Amino acid sequence: MIPPAPEAESFDRIQCQWCQGMNEKAALACRACGAPLDIRNLVSESGWREAPRIRDMTEIHFGSSTCQVEGEIVPVAEINLGAGDSIFFEHHVMLWKDERVPLGVMQLSGGLQRAFAGMPFIISLATGAGRIAFSRDATGELVVLPLHPGMELDVREHAFLLASHHISYSFVRVKGLVNILFGGQGMYMDRFVTGSVAGLLILHGYGNVFERRLAAGESIMVEPGAFLYKDSSVTMEVQFQRLGTGLFGGTNMALARMTGPGRIGIQSMYVHHHTE
Amino acid sequence: MFCTFCGAGIPESANFCVNCGAHAPVMPSSTAAPAADPASSYAAPALQAQPPNLPPPAVHSAAVKCPWCGAVSDGSQSSCPRCGAALDVPEDTSESGWIEVPGRKDMTKIQLGNSSCQIEGVYVPVADMNLAAGDGIYFTHHVLLWKDPQVTISAMPLAGAWKRVFAGLPLIMTQAAGPGHIAFSRDDPGELMPVPLQPGEALDVREHLFLVATASVAYDWFPTNVWLKTQQGNETETHYPVGMFMDRFTAPQAPGLLLLHAAGNVFVRRLAEGETILVKPTALVFKDPSVQMHLHFERPGTVFHGWGNWTNRYLWLRLTGPGRVAIQSVFERIEGEARNLSSCSYATEQRW
Repeated sequence: MIPPAPEAESFDRIQCQWCQGMNEKAALACRACGAPLDIRNLVSESGWREAPRIRDMTEIHFGSSTCQVEGEIVPVAEINLGAGDSIFFEHHVMLWKDERVPLGVMQLSGGLQRAFAGMPFIISLATGAGRIAFSRDATGELVVLPLHPGMELDVREHAFLLASHHISYSFVRVKGLVNILFGGQGMYMDRFVTGSVAGLLILHGYGNVFERRLAAGESIMVEPGAFLYKDSSVTMEVQFQRLGTGLFGGTNMALARMTGPGRIGIQSMYVHHHTE
Repeated sequence: MFCTFCGAGIPESANFCVNCGAHAPVMPSSTAAPAADPASSYAAPALQAQPPNLPPPAVHSAAVKCPWCGAVSDGSQSSCPRCGAALDVPEDTSESGWIEVPGRKDMTKIQLGNSSCQIEGVYVPVADMNLAAGDGIYFTHHVLLWKDPQVTISAMPLAGAWKRVFAGLPLIMTQAAGPGHIAFSRDDPGELMPVPLQPGEALDVREHLFLVATASVAYDWFPTNVWLKTQQGNETETHYPVGMFMDRFTAPQAPGLLLLHAAGNVFVRRLAEGETILVKPTALVFKDPSVQMHLHFERPGTVFHGWGNWTNRYLWLRLTGPGRVAIQSVFERIEGEARNLSSCSYATEQRW
């Protein structure tokens, strides 16, 4: 028998500590984000919380659709779209789909200026009913972020797997030459905003993913390649650390200073762009 | 009770976790018994230093000896405080004698004097160091993940570091000083291995596998003298299957901690005096300085022409004991493949 979490004892419902969604007391995984409800949170002494390790074959519900998370090393998000529901994504993450699921292209302003891997930057749209599945190209974790109404989240470009159509998508140019050249996360950041309706956003982080909530004014220095997502209230500024040796004129190390208030997510495997 | 591996709730009577399959936690008193058994110290040896000529530590009844590094703890913890190995999981040894680097619980903490190191994550683990004031560490390029703003970092002066440029190695060691948190990770799924070094102990590590070390660990390097020259037309190229240089870490006076990151899984074995084993050169992780290494070729005895041609031979690294050797299960391709060999460092050969 599984002992109930102490805080759930007096309630009929249990709150997921990752997404704050309410679940039935007997639930083993959160209905909205898939986080296991029967294991304790893994939080480091320095305050980073590990993204919940979603159990193989866990099902997540959004709108009239479901998402099943399959596999653990490079997990697949398999979406069973309900009629009328749609999701959007980048083309490089598609794994397979039912023939009958129609694909379309989301109209974006300025999207033509962006290119990915030599291809024009296009956000594709799939509409139910039917199944379509997504995965990315390296060992890592799915980060399921149900967005409550009125939320605004910035994500490293090309790191999002899919989002439900209730979320509005735009991208922001990372400002300042220093950030563009040395920020490591490229020239753009994806921005996801919810209006009055909640939505579902799924990211894929390389390696392990950790989240931390910064208080107002609290800051932390992060390797730019490790940045995965942040609340848009968190500011990001790339700073240089000069490592002089005298012999070769030294090397610069760029670190991003992230300042709260808000959440910040990082991945433990990353791409290096920060020397020279 | 809760699984000490994944944290899932499990029945009191269970032997295994229903979620992850790990052994259910056992009471310290039951693990103390095998620790006192002389047979278990025979099976122990993996990371434990061979001759720390120290008096045997006072072992009281509940004490638990880490089978991996030999540290004795009071039995109240489920992980070794010195190397982070899980103490309630039996050691995995293959029939051929390779010991798998021990399971480590997520969020395991290692104590280093006043500082500590917490290891977080499973696919690409992060070493999160909590440095006390006055404590220092050093690390190579491209491993820093995040740090508190107040932790200062600077270049570590290294005598003769310019020699390393030619090996394509990071030229600069960076040092960080406490107090504060600073965290490191590498860019391959694999194992993060804490290797505690006792005073007088040394370890040779293949280049690029080093993540971070405490300031009490001295860093040096030496030429591997393992090379081969290949010829294609008029062009001759020299290749270094285990790297031109190898890193050597020593704890001269005080104990220290060395953290390595290897790709895939890591296996360790102890070679007896004169015992040999052939390993893929790029799979070597570390060896005791007492272990000697050189190239070894194998080829069919019937082939007379072009034995230098890569397609007709196999290249190994031959390691000779006494001492420990460690290998990783993910390795790079050997450079210079499919080229004609013109000369090489000392090598043995076997024809079928």
